[in-house]
Amino acid sequence: MPTSVRRFVAGAAGLSAVALLAGCAKNAPQDTWQPKGPNAQKIDDLQKPVFAIAGIVGLIVFAAVAYAVFRFKDRGQPIPEQTHGKPVLEIGMTILPALLLAGIGVFTFRTIFDLAKTDDTEMVINVTGQQWWWEYDYPVQTDYGITNPIITSGQLVIPTGTKVLLRETSRDVIHSYWIPALNGKRDAVPGRVHYLRLEADKPGIYAGQCTEFCGLSHAVMRMEAVALDKADFAAWVKGQLELADSPAEGTLAKEGESVFLNQCVRCHQVNGLKKADGSPAIAAPEENVWSGAAPNLTHLMTRNTFAGASWDLLTKECRKDVWEAPGGEFGKKYLAGVTEECLNQTDLRRWLRNAPAMKPMYADPTKLGPTDGKYRGMPNLGLSEDDIDKLVAYLATLK
Amino acid sequence: MFTNGSKYFIGVTGFSAVVLVIYVVLVDGAVGGAVALASIMLAVGLLAGLALFNRDGDVEVGDAAAPANAVPVGSSLWPLVTTLGIVAMGVGLITHEIVFLLGLTALVAGFVEWVIQGWSESASSDRRFNNAARGRLIHPLEFPVIATVGAGVIVVSFSRIMLAISKTTGAVLFTIVGALVLAGGVFFAVRPNLKKSVAVGLCVIGAVGVVAGGIAGASVGKRDQLVEANEEDHFAHKECGEEKSKYFDFNSEAKVSMRSNPMATIEFVDGKLQARELGLKKLTDRITVQKSNNISVIFRNKTEGEYRLTLFYGEKEVQEGVVEELHNCTQMIESGEEQLLTFRIDRPSIASEKPYKFYVPGVEDQSIEVVVP
Ligand code: HEC
Ligand SMILES: [Cu+2]
Repeated sequence: MPTSVRRFVAGAAGLSAVALLAGCAKNAPQDTWQPKGPNAQKIDDLQKPVFAIAGIVGLIVFAAVAYAVFRFKDRGQPIPEQTHGKPVLEIGMTILPALLLAGIGVFTFRTIFDLAKTDDTEMVINVTGQQWWWEYDYPVQTDYGITNPIITSGQLVIPTGTKVLLRETSRDVIHSYWIPALNGKRDAVPGRVHYLRLEADKPGIYAGQCTEFCGLSHAVMRMEAVALDKADFAAWVKGQLELADSPAEGTLAKEGESVFLNQCVRCHQVNGLKKADGSPAIAAPEENVWSGAAPNLTHLMTRNTFAGASWDLLTKECRKDVWEAPGGEFGKKYLAGVTEECLNQTDLRRWLRNAPAMKPMYADPTKLGPTDGKYRGMPNLGLSEDDIDKLVAYLATLK
Repeated sequence: MFTNGSKYFIGVTGFSAVVLVIYVVLVDGAVGGAVALASIMLAVGLLAGLALFNRDGDVEVGDAAAPANAVPVGSSLWPLVTTLGIVAMGVGLITHEIVFLLGLTALVAGFVEWVIQGWSESASSDRRFNNAARGRLIHPLEFPVIATVGAGVIVVSFSRIMLAISKTTGAVLFTIVGALVLAGGVFFAVRPNLKKSVAVGLCVIGAVGVVAGGIAGASVGKRDQLVEANEEDHFAHKECGEEKSKYFDFNSEAKVSMRSNPMATIEFVDGKLQARELGLKKLTDRITVQKSNNISVIFRNKTEGEYRLTLFYGEKEVQEGVVEELHNCTQMIESGEEQLLTFRIDRPSIASEKPYKFYVPGVEDQSIEVVVP
């Protein structure tokens, strides 16, 4: 073998070994081979046999090729008699794969149609993508105690054993919603509404990732689906429906509230927040952000990740405690939210100090021509450390 | 050294340069005129160069200059056109700007053609050569202009016809016209050896027909509906209330081809409004839509009579102290028909004292609340 070929073979072998080993990673939350709900299960039920069949066919083909290569190697023997065509073999080799593919096709179509079903929906949630985070809003559904719409971001909370239908769309470019443990991916396209069925068997956090390249921070546009059992879900709903309380006079958090009113409320809504004159403070992200939206922060501390589910609001230990809690305890731990002791101040402060340094965003005020002066993402607000202290104290009250 | 033709063009170039300088000095800040004069100067300068370069179109003839044209040349149209242009400009000054502009165009066109024809006629003693020389110079200018004017005439004629006849007649008529054009094309294609005169004749008949139709259409005027809708101020009509006009918003398309994307279907069934949200089976009187996002709903009228669906979505201060209600609506929809309404609400429900809602103008007590989180 010439050295170049040898090198290529060695490289390819090395790469495949790495790929193979990566497949064995223990902590792989976005593993497509570990379904955690009936929709993903359907896909798994299809992909396993298809993978097996394809594997067997592949092995047969490899074996045949290897046999031919070695058996008929040029050893100086005379060239055998040349014939043309072998109808039986040719027709057989056409019909066999056709039958195989037709068989796979039947099951594939059945799965596709099953996954496209919407007439058994028990709950709908609007999922709206934008650069670079997901917003969720829960339309009024009194059966679940949702008497007013709920709005949140990053972490999608669903009841276990419930057929949830996501209505996906986007406010700017095409994104794609994908929670591998619960279902396949579905594009979120501006101006269109696409459905995605979602159902989780057991309580837990299921990680996902935007899978349609959507610009600068596509890589940190993540999301999580949080499944709670029905009782816990009802408690979550109840909490989400509450308005934010104003912190007590004289506290640091109260000072933070006024910083928030000055700096943040032009983009971020906090339901229940009042201006100094007592009128409700209404955010106007459509005037400041290109997509027209910024996360609603009313219940920030009930989610445990932020900024496109890419950073933790929980410290390492607390995160482990919640994320790895056994099914029975998970709900209670998640519902506890982010407590004072568990708040990951480091990352939250870093975000407030200079968000675009943490997550690349189009936030340079001198380069906003193409977006009519609107930011894509959160700008660096140049806050003083003093203000950041106050803000963190205030944000910590948003439960 | 200098041929007759080039002397002439050099003279004109110099003259326009002088005029340009005088103009720039005397007339303050009138860029348009300066640009026009500079363009003329450039154009004649170019012609001067051309004439010099090709020795008035006859490279064989040396500096001895062309022999006098022995053959008498025919009469020319261009002095007449130029004169007409001047007259029209005069008339235009006291009547209408457009007449003046047409006169100016005729003047410039006639003048340029005249100059070039004059030059070409003395280029050599061979008339055919002179004609070809003229063509080489002027055709790149003439053809685009003629084509533009021709296309313009056809477009204007078509539009006059379409504005005069009714919508249905228009559809039928232009189906026939289109078919005829296609048939003509096929005819020419299968008979490549057709006599030129026949082909030309057919084209002329077609063109004359279109222009005659256009003139007829223009003299008949717009169809009544358009006139009346215009009198009703059709184009300024923005209200989404009960329809009082006779034409505005009626005869709408009322067909929906986009099926997969509406967030909700809103039906007006026997005087009652009801909504069904995408993905939910139950009827509801309250739908939830995202903020700052383009949302579509289908409105279907299942009540006798024509109705529209109107969305109220808050108030906006349009000027200091002037607050306007925000509305969006479908057209008037006949019974059994439907239409898509696309809207975008930028403020959450809590920003409005009155709830956002869909309603049917003129029908009391029927509404679908729209909640924006
Ligand atoms: C110009 C608009 C704008 C302003 C002003 C603004 N933000 Fe943001 N903020 C955003 C956007 C957009 C995001 C989403 C960024 C992402 O995840 O990609 C965001 C994200 C956040 C998040 C993460 C929320 C989540 O659920 O993921 C927090 C917390 C936050 N901002 C706090 C603040 C605070 C506190 C202030 C005031 C000091 C503030 N922001 C000012 C636009 C803004
Ligand atoms: Cu994305």
